[in-house]
Parts: sequence; structure tokens; C-alpha cells
Amino acid sequence: MPPDKSDLLQGTLDMLILKIVALGPVHGYGISQRIRQISKDVLQVQQGSLYPALHRLEKRGWLKADWGESDNGRKAKFYSLSAKGRRQLAAEESNWNRLAEAVSVIMQTAQ
Amino acid sequence: MWPFFRKPGESQLDDELRFHLEALIDEKIAAGIPPEEARRLAAIEFGGREQWKEELRDVHRIPLVESASANLKAALRFIRKSPSFAATLVVTLALGIGANSAVFSALDTILLRPLPFPHGDQLMALTQVSPKARNSTAPLAPVRLEDWNRMNSTFQAITGYYTEDVSETSGEVPEKLTRAWVAPRFFDVWGIAPALGHDFAPEDYRFPPLNNVIISDRLWRRRFGADPSAIGKRLRIEGYSFNIAGIMPASFRFPVRDVDLWTPTPLGAPYTTSRESTWYYAIGRLKPGVTLDQARADLETVQSRLAKQFPKTDAQWSPGMRPLKDITVGNVRPSLWILFGAVSVLLLIACTNIAALLVARNVQRQREIAVRYALGASRRAIVTQLLSEIFVLALAGSAAALLIAGAAAHMFQVVAKDLPRVQEISLNPRLALYTGVCALLTTLACGLFPAIHGTRRSLAGSLAESGRTQVSARNWLQWSLVSVQVALAVTLLVGSGLLLRTFQALGRVSPGFDPEHVLTLRISANWGETVDMKRLAQRVNRDLDVLRAIPGVEGAATSLALPGVPFQSAAELKVIEGAADPNRKIMAVSRFVSPGYFATMHIPVEAGEACRESSDEGAAVNRSFAEAYFAGHEVIGNHLQFVPVNPYWKASAIRGIVGNAREEGLEHEAGPVVYWCDNSPVPSPAFLVRTHGDPMALAETVRRKIHEIEPNRSVYEISPLTDHLHDVFAENRLRTFLLTFFALTAVALASMGLYGTLSYIVGERRREIGLRLALGALRNEVVTQFLLEGLRASLLGCLAGLALAAAFSRLLRSMLYGVTSSDGVTFAAVGLLVLFTATLASLLPALRAARVDPMQVLRQE
Repeated sequence: MPPDKSDLLQGTLDMLILKIVALGPVHGYGISQRIRQISKDVLQVQQGSLYPALHRLEKRGWLKADWGESDNGRKAKFYSLSAKGRRQLAAEESNWNRLAEAVSVIMQTAQ
Repeated sequence: MWPFFRKPGESQLDDELRFHLEALIDEKIAAGIPPEEARRLAAIEFGGREQWKEELRDVHRIPLVESASANLKAALRFIRKSPSFAATLVVTLALGIGANSAVFSALDTILLRPLPFPHGDQLMALTQVSPKARNSTAPLAPVRLEDWNRMNSTFQAITGYYTEDVSETSGEVPEKLTRAWVAPRFFDVWGIAPALGHDFAPEDYRFPPLNNVIISDRLWRRRFGADPSAIGKRLRIEGYSFNIAGIMPASFRFPVRDVDLWTPTPLGAPYTTSRESTWYYAIGRLKPGVTLDQARADLETVQSRLAKQFPKTDAQWSPGMRPLKDITVGNVRPSLWILFGAVSVLLLIACTNIAALLVARNVQRQREIAVRYALGASRRAIVTQLLSEIFVLALAGSAAALLIAGAAAHMFQVVAKDLPRVQEISLNPRLALYTGVCALLTTLACGLFPAIHGTRRSLAGSLAESGRTQVSARNWLQWSLVSVQVALAVTLLVGSGLLLRTFQALGRVSPGFDPEHVLTLRISANWGETVDMKRLAQRVNRDLDVLRAIPGVEGAATSLALPGVPFQSAAELKVIEGAADPNRKIMAVSRFVSPGYFATMHIPVEAGEACRESSDEGAAVNRSFAEAYFAGHEVIGNHLQFVPVNPYWKASAIRGIVGNAREEGLEHEAGPVVYWCDNSPVPSPAFLVRTHGDPMALAETVRRKIHEIEPNRSVYEISPLTDHLHDVFAENRLRTFLLTFFALTAVALASMGLYGTLSYIVGERRREIGLRLALGALRNEVVTQFLLEGLRASLLGCLAGLALAAAFSRLLRSMLYGVTSSDGVTFAAVGLLVLFTATLASLLPALRAARVDPMQVLRQE
């Protein structure tokens, strides 16, 4: 992996997927694109991690999946957020915020 | 478990991934890369597709399946590693479950499953009942049967039958056949049609008869070699020619197992018109959804209407109804449940035995369990693994058990051929299911407790220990399991002991007649002969004379029923001259015998004379009758009569008193009996021939001599009287044999359990023993110590078992004779036997303990 791209923290991929999907139904390729675009190429999700994560989330009932047509008319699997997934996302977000805050406090104090 | 393995469609996975790959390629082409190059780059970026697909599949696999296959592998490994341990478990389980399944197959077939007819549970046996009549329950009169069938609203149809032995004379020698006279609708009620030919037509039931006959599959094969052209051929039955109209399928063997042919009873024939001649065994088929109570109430209404119409003949009768299955199954119900109880206890002992083995085994595996904990396994996972080991063994055990049960089904048909419905017992899916459920339950029963006990965290903390287990504190558990086994085995042993003592008591009974050297036989005859009773009596006398003339024959007589074989219940009589105690109802069993009966059976005539040779009249009573009803008064010369008066039996004078004989079954004290002198109360009474030597040696001579004077009659059921007496106890004997077999197996299992446990404990404590020996303990002290340890557990179990037996042996009470259910001898003998066996089982391990070499043990330190 190129040095200018960061590894995802364990467990944060699920949260990122939920966040992206929360914006509206999207297929796997779209998710990887958006993560890359929004993070300005810092985060790049490997397909080998993305799809198992998607299927796991779907199996837990946090994501719903439907087959539909992509922009260029191909058959694609679109993921959207379920009510359960929405609650999960909220919980993970607040967790994340607390963690991020704590980490940044430590980093600043230690300077 | 494999069906649980749900995969998302493989093609869907492919579709999803392909879409991604194509999107990547599009992206690169859009960025200006040539298509070929774009495709290559995208493929590189996308990476190993197959590998991800595998990961994706993993997401969808249910963990249970994964762990189940892992557990299965572990179980197989476990079996491979300790084959002898596994073999012990499998054999114990196979025996335990096998015995259980075998008895269950009989229980299920005989008691639980409906009769093998379409909607067999709708079939009811019907009788007419009167508390006042001589026989309170009687067969149905043919006219009354037709009335019931016409007037009821709850039965689809009611029919009846009567069986008799007849002679068929179209062959070279007369053959005795069993004929069933049937009422209209007979085959309809069973719901079974002839396999070939056709059922009787309505015309067949009109008088005069058309003489059509339907024959059994057995007769068809025997006489016609299963040739379909037998339809339309003729049989000569009792001198009349009959046309074969149909052949029943092999499975239809009703009303009796060896029935040969069915003939219609014409309505309007002289013997069907009287409301008082009651001889039809009636069967009704309920309409769907009708309850027993509704049907009973309906028949009662019908009969009360008949009572108004025919007050003289019908007022005293009310309908009797029982499910046909109850009648068919009869009295084997308690025996089967007792045996099933016994094999269930046996299975419980097997389970306890295995549990004890597993407890010991798990202690040895403590290190393995500790390592698994250390590697992060949950307790549930370890318990599941331990259980799946047992489950695999139980499965193997029940496969073997199924074989045992299948073999037992054949054995039942040989050993217990008189058991009702025994020919229906077979290996079937229900039995397989039952055996499978047994395997599951035994797994839980044997495995759960040791598994939970063996995986306690406190025990599992032993990883740090040197691998030497300090077990003495935990031995109580193993010893209690041994005690439980001993207690259960003792309970079974007491049960079988009581039954054995019953047999012993029966063997000691002096029957009051001499059953040895007596040949019994019947000579075919039909009811038509009763039209001329005098001629019938002459014919029987002629036959008796021929029998007496055969060299080697000491005497011959006839009797309505065989002595020693239960036949009749007591009926009410009255003394015409007035009884000694007018308030006392006179109840006595009636037997109908020919002159010469008492001499032939060696029953002593104590006073007067018993049935004069010259005239066939008069009666004799036994000692018990004289004492019960004439205490101190003159007996001989009084006249006896049936109550109510039986039109066929006039009052007869008592001419003699004979000794008490146990003719109603050896297990019954002889009650009051009246012997009516009549050589032929029925056309084919039992002939009794006393011989000098082996009775069967004369069988052929007897058959030939009778054939010479009675060329149109067949001689059948030739057998020694002792065989009949033997048969009376066939079920009893089988029950006793099986229960004893199960009880001994139980003792063997319990002894194995004791031996195994003590061996294990000795093995675990070798170090301690070695140390003590090194410090100067005597070897016989060591032997005594372990012997006592084994005996203490056995004694506790034995006492508990005797207490249990005392509580439960009452269940056997109705099956006992000459011994009470709390028989001291049995209890003491069982106690001694079990303690003796326990001593033997403990001795070997105890001696082995004393042979421990202190030097060797200490060197291992």
C-alpha cells in the first residue's frame, strides 16, 4: 500500500460503510469510490475487505440489499440502511466521537 | 445438519463482483487507458477473486455447522485414540438401547398401533350382557344382531361370526379345516375384499343356502398351489359340496389365525331364528367421528326398544361393547409394560455405567480441557465437544441396537408365537425413529452431567499441576453412580426372583389329576349333529370304545374342556331339595365329562359313584363343592339345576363326590366344581386317552383306528396333555425368562461398573499405595481397604435397591402365585447374590492394588 494512504482502524470500516450507505442506496463499487473521494484519496478500501464487510452487515440486518440497474444500465446490487443499521450508526458515531476526542486530547496534552 | 448451510447463490456473488470489476475497467478507459491495458490493470487491482469469494462464503456459513463438523472430527479422533474405551461404550449402549427397542417394537405393535385393518380403531366387539344370566356376557343371537344392525344410527355396519372345526372330504383323507360362519356384511365391516373372486352376494344369505365359500390364502396355497383357477372349484365340507367364490389376501386371518374358510350363515335357517340361541361373536364398525359413549348409548336405546317388543327374550339383555383391539390384545398388556419398564431400567443402568466411565475419563482429560480453556475455548464449546463424542458413539450403538431389535422381531415370532399380533412385529420406520430418539436421550443422560462436571473452571485450573491428579476427594461421585447401578439391578433382580419363585411354586403344586401319559385329540364334527343328541352320544361312545381297544391304552374319556386349561367362570346353580344355607348363592364351575373320565384322569372318587358307565346322566361334585354348600349334610341324592333354568340341561342327581382337582388352571385352588355326566355336550369334545407309555407313540395308531370307523371325519390336535398345560404358561414363561435375562444383564452391567470404577481408583492412587507399602503397610490391609470401599458402595446400593423393590414389587402382584410380593426368601437371596457378585467384582482390582511395587512407583517421582 502506498505510504500516503492510511490503513483503516480495525472496526471503523463498518462505520464508514454505514455512513456512506446512509446517504442513499449505493453499490459496492460506489462505496469504495466515495470513501476514496471523500477522504481525498487517503483511505482506499480493498475489495477483499469491502465485500465481506458488506455481507456481514447485511447478515446482521444493518444493511438491506436490492438488485437494481446502475447508471450505465448494468445489473448491480444496491445496499441501503435499515432501521437497525441507522441505530447502529448513531451508536458507532457517538462512540467514535468520544474516542477521537479522547485521542486528540491525549495527543495535545502530551505535546 | 447440512441443510442449515445456507449460501447466497453463487451466481449472485459472481454478479456482484463482476459489476465491480467492470466498473473499474470503465473508470480506467474513461481516464484514457486503452481497453486491453485497462482490463489488465483492473484485474490486478481487483486481486484474487476466488479468494474473496471464499471469504464471502465464510460470512454466510452458520457457525453451528462449522463447529459440528469440527466436533465430529474431534469425536472421531477421540474414538481412534482410545478404541477399547469407545468399544465398551458402544457395546453397552447397543445392548441397552437394543433391548429397549426390541421390547418397544412388541409394545408398539401390539398395544399402540391400530389393528391392521382400514381404520382399525372403528372396530368394536359387541356382546349381550345380563347380570342375571348363567354367563353374564354372551355372544349375540343372529336375529338380535340383524335388529341391532337395522335399528342403530352410530355404526356403519354390524356383523358376526362363529368358528368351528369341520371335515373336508374332497381329498384322499379327510382334512380338518377351520370354518367361520359369517353374518351378512362380514368383509365390509373389516374393510377387506377378496384378493381373487368376489365377496358373498345378498342371495348367499338367503335360505336355503347357495353353498358358496371364500377360502383363505393359506388353504389356497396348500390345496391349490396358489392356482388362480381355484375359483369355481369345489370343496366337500361336512358332506355338502361348496363352490369357491373368492380367495382372501394372506394378511386377512380373522376371526382366528388359522381360519381356512368362510361360509355365509343363511338368514332364516332354523338355527338363526331363535332369540335365545346366542352364538354370534359380533363386530361393529363405528361411523367416523362417533365416540364409544355415543355408540353405547345408541345400542342401549335400540335394545330397550327390543325389550318392549320382545319382553320375554330381550328384557334381561343389554349391549356390551369393547374396542376390538382390547379383546385382541387381551391380558398381555401388563406383561409388556412390566418388560418395557425392566428394559428401561436396564438402559438407565447402562447410562449410569457410561456416565461413571466418562467421569473417570474426563478427570484424565483434565489437562486437555485446561489447554482448551487456555486457548480461549468457551465452556459451552468444550461441553458440546464432549457431548458430540458420546453422540457419535450412541449413534453407532443405536445402529447396532436396531440390528438387535430386528433380530428380536424374528425371535418373538418363534419364541412367542401365541402372543397376539406377533406376526405384525417388524423393523419399521417408527422403530428406527424410536431408536434414534433413544440415542439422543442417552447422549444427554449419560454425557451431560459428566461433561458439565468435568469442565468446571476450578478443575480446569490444573494446567499448572504436574499432571498427577488428586482425585480421592471426588470419588464420592463415582461411588454414587456405582450405588445407583447396583440399586437398579437389585430392583430388577427382585422382580425376576419373584416370578421365578412363582414358577417354583407352580411346579410343586399337586394338580389332583395325573397329566402324564395322556394323549388328547379331537375328531371333527359339526353342529348339525346336535339335532339328534342320542345318535351323537352313540357315535362318541363308539369312538371311545375303539380307542379303549387299542393295545397300550389304559382308558379313554371325553370332556368339554381339557383339564388344567382355564376355560370357564363359575355359574349359579340351585339345589332342588333346598340348600343347606338357603341364603347362600351356589356358584360353581361346570364341567361336562364322559363316564370313565375320573378313572382316566386318576381323580379319586371319594364317595358314591361318578357317572355310571351304563347311563349318561347324573352329576358328581368335588370335595370343595360338598364342603362349601353341604357342610355336614347329605350330598348324594340331591338334584342340581342351572339358574336361570337352562332349556338344554335338565336337573341332575348328584351321585358321587370326587377329589379336588385343579382343572381350571394349576395356579387356582380347586373351587366348587360340578361334573355333569355327558360324553358329548358339543359335537367335538376333547378326547383323553391314558396310555401305558409315551402317549405320542400311539398317535398314528389312534389316527388309523379312528379313520377305519369314521372315514369321513378327521382327527386333529393330537398332542400330549402335558403340552397343553405347558402352553397355558407360555406367556408367563416368556415373561419370566425375559425379565430374568434383563435382570442378569443388569447385574452384569452393574458389576462391570463396579469393577471399572474400582480399577480406575486403584490406578489413580498407585502412588499413595506405593508410598504406604514403602512405609510398612501390609498388602492384605491394602486389599481389605479397597475391597471394603467397593463393598460399601454395593451395600448402600443393595439396600436402596431392596427398598425400591419393596415399593414397586406390588406391580407384579397379579402375576405371582404361591409367593407374596414382599417374599423374604427372594429379597434375602437377591441381596446375597448381589453382594457376592460385588465382592468378586471388587476383588480383582483390590488384589491388583496390593501388587503395586513401591520401588517402581517411587522411582516415577
